[in-house]
Amino acid sequence: MKPRRILALADKEVRHVMRDVRTLYLALAMPLLMLLLFGFGVSFDLEHLPVAVVDLDQSTVSRTLRRRLLADDVFDDAGLYASGAEAERALVEGKAAMVVVIERDLARHLARGEHAEVQLLVDGSDNSSATQARARGELAVRAILASSTRELRIAPAIELRTITRFNPSGKSAVFLVPGISAYVLAMVAVLLTALTVSREWERGSMAQLFATPVTRAEIVLGKLLPYLLLGLLAVLLVIAAGGWVFDVPFRGSAPTLCLLSLLFLIGMLGLGLLISVVARNQMVATQLATMSSMLPSLLLSGFVFPIDNMPTALQWLSRAVPARYYVSGLRGVLLRGNGLGELWPEALMLGAFGLVMLALSTARFPRTIA
Amino acid sequence: MSHVIEVENLRREFGSFVAVRNVSFHVERGEIFGYLGANGAGKSTTIKMLCGLLAPTGGRARVAGHDIDHAPQRVKASIGYMSQKFSLYLDLDARSNLQFFGGIYGLRGKALRGAIEQVVERTDLGEHLTQTASALPGGIRQRLALACAVMHRPEIVFLDEPTAGVDPVSRRQFWKLIRELAAQGTTVFVTTHYMDEAEYCARIGLMVDGALVALDTPDALKAEYVPGTTVELEGSDLQRVLGAARQLPFVRAADLFGDRLRVRFDAKGTDLARLEEALRRAGAQITRDSQVEASLEEVFLAVVGRKEAA
Repeated sequence: MKPRRILALADKEVRHVMRDVRTLYLALAMPLLMLLLFGFGVSFDLEHLPVAVVDLDQSTVSRTLRRRLLADDVFDDAGLYASGAEAERALVEGKAAMVVVIERDLARHLARGEHAEVQLLVDGSDNSSATQARARGELAVRAILASSTRELRIAPAIELRTITRFNPSGKSAVFLVPGISAYVLAMVAVLLTALTVSREWERGSMAQLFATPVTRAEIVLGKLLPYLLLGLLAVLLVIAAGGWVFDVPFRGSAPTLCLLSLLFLIGMLGLGLLISVVARNQMVATQLATMSSMLPSLLLSGFVFPIDNMPTALQWLSRAVPARYYVSGLRGVLLRGNGLGELWPEALMLGAFGLVMLALSTARFPRTIA
Repeated sequence: MSHVIEVENLRREFGSFVAVRNVSFHVERGEIFGYLGANGAGKSTTIKMLCGLLAPTGGRARVAGHDIDHAPQRVKASIGYMSQKFSLYLDLDARSNLQFFGGIYGLRGKALRGAIEQVVERTDLGEHLTQTASALPGGIRQRLALACAVMHRPEIVFLDEPTAGVDPVSRRQFWKLIRELAAQGTTVFVTTHYMDEAEYCARIGLMVDGALVALDTPDALKAEYVPGTTVELEGSDLQRVLGAARQLPFVRAADLFGDRLRVRFDAKGTDLARLEEALRRAGAQITRDSQVEASLEEVFLAVVGRKEAA
């Protein structure tokens, strides 16, 4: 293994990249674009949910309840209805996603310290909005009722105080951006190398390389190094954009982030190399690359679907998906401010995956052209 | 060690197809060795095995003193290879291509710059250095590819159909370079199917269907396969008398080359007067005759003919 030869290969690769703007676009612009698309598109945040209110009480308390409910951006006014039946029609017609029915004697029941009822009707056809709408609705109603009972100096039986740390406002961008970053980087990294080696096969220049003293490991490393730097640049861009556009915090240390990213990139670039070594043609390589990076990184990384909720078999499968470790590593570094002290298992798994990929790429790299 | 390439019973099969059948030969240091044959005769396969690109299925070969099976890395460090398919990096400029191949062969810094300077001067590429390889005309591309293959000063350079698809003027220039290389002591192993180029080779191996059927200097091959003298006749109605010419007892072969009739006599002597008289009697007008040297094309046809007859 001669550093001089690896350097020559890496240098040539850089020249290819400089000549071909598409590679730079793929490596730098694509991740940013996808981050923005996903960041704005995939949001579990509930805002502007139309709410209809049926106020049968018509008291100060009930009017305050409605006003407070509609005060922030979460709920929009979908009208005040006289009867439950009318409001339900609004629900069926899709004009309202939630209906709040305030019973006739709410104010009186509260004043007497009696059992008081507010009914929430939720459109359950969109399950995730329904769950969040219900939770937000309950929270709002309880808060308002609590404050009005406090005015009436009645002590509630038990008060539950929940504190959500690291993402207190429950913004989904903060939770999603690390996942999106991992997903996007996984895809781009695999594509970058999957195409470069297969391009060499298609051009016929691989035969020329094989006639030189260059070894397989040197080719693998020479191909890896430039894209590692490019990938790292993409990581920093994506993280910076995440912080700037989506207010994702950066609580950990930059070296930890770089180390995790480097290990993750080695694995994904290595996977790309392996694909192009096996595929030998750009079409097949592209398909293999997207299949092997996109689906696992999307479905099995814990980016969208929590791994703990998966069937056991899928949970096991997810252990072989590097994006899983990178997603949890990124969340650790960015949101919890973790260092290697907490994240060494992630680093270990990412490093192991990278080593296996590089070893496999080298081993499967043919020695001869036929 | 005088033989820079030694090949013994080299064989390559692809499934049931035998591409190279037990070929044996050797190449002297500093000679231009031509490897001739039709497409698919096994020339490229032989070259690929000698360059360590393809493992033989039988036999052995030593290139620059190293066994191609046991020390392919050493073989590769001692050779230059220019493949049939143009395999430079077309998106890079000429200088980048040279820098890359120099780097791959371990050159760096001053040595690399020196090697580039020298090879550029030898191949006269100076004005094209900053041009993208894809923008270069075919002949100059071939020169650049040759420059990339020899800039590390290998003992042997393998050229696989280096002039395929190149115009005649560029071919001539290219062969001038090849002769200069050989004069400086580099052994040149070249395949071609242009018979006129083969004349430049010190020795020629002829391949037919994977077998090496003839190997010698061009003159010796001509003497063996195309004996006797050959005359070329110009005139009219020559195609009509072709059959008559072939029946004459002292004529070995008669063929039309364009509008000329080429007649080869028996080794005994030239019966030109008798030939012309016989042809006139058969109805042809002969305006001019000239003695010609046998061409390698005729050698090739004779070799193939003999092989088919056997």
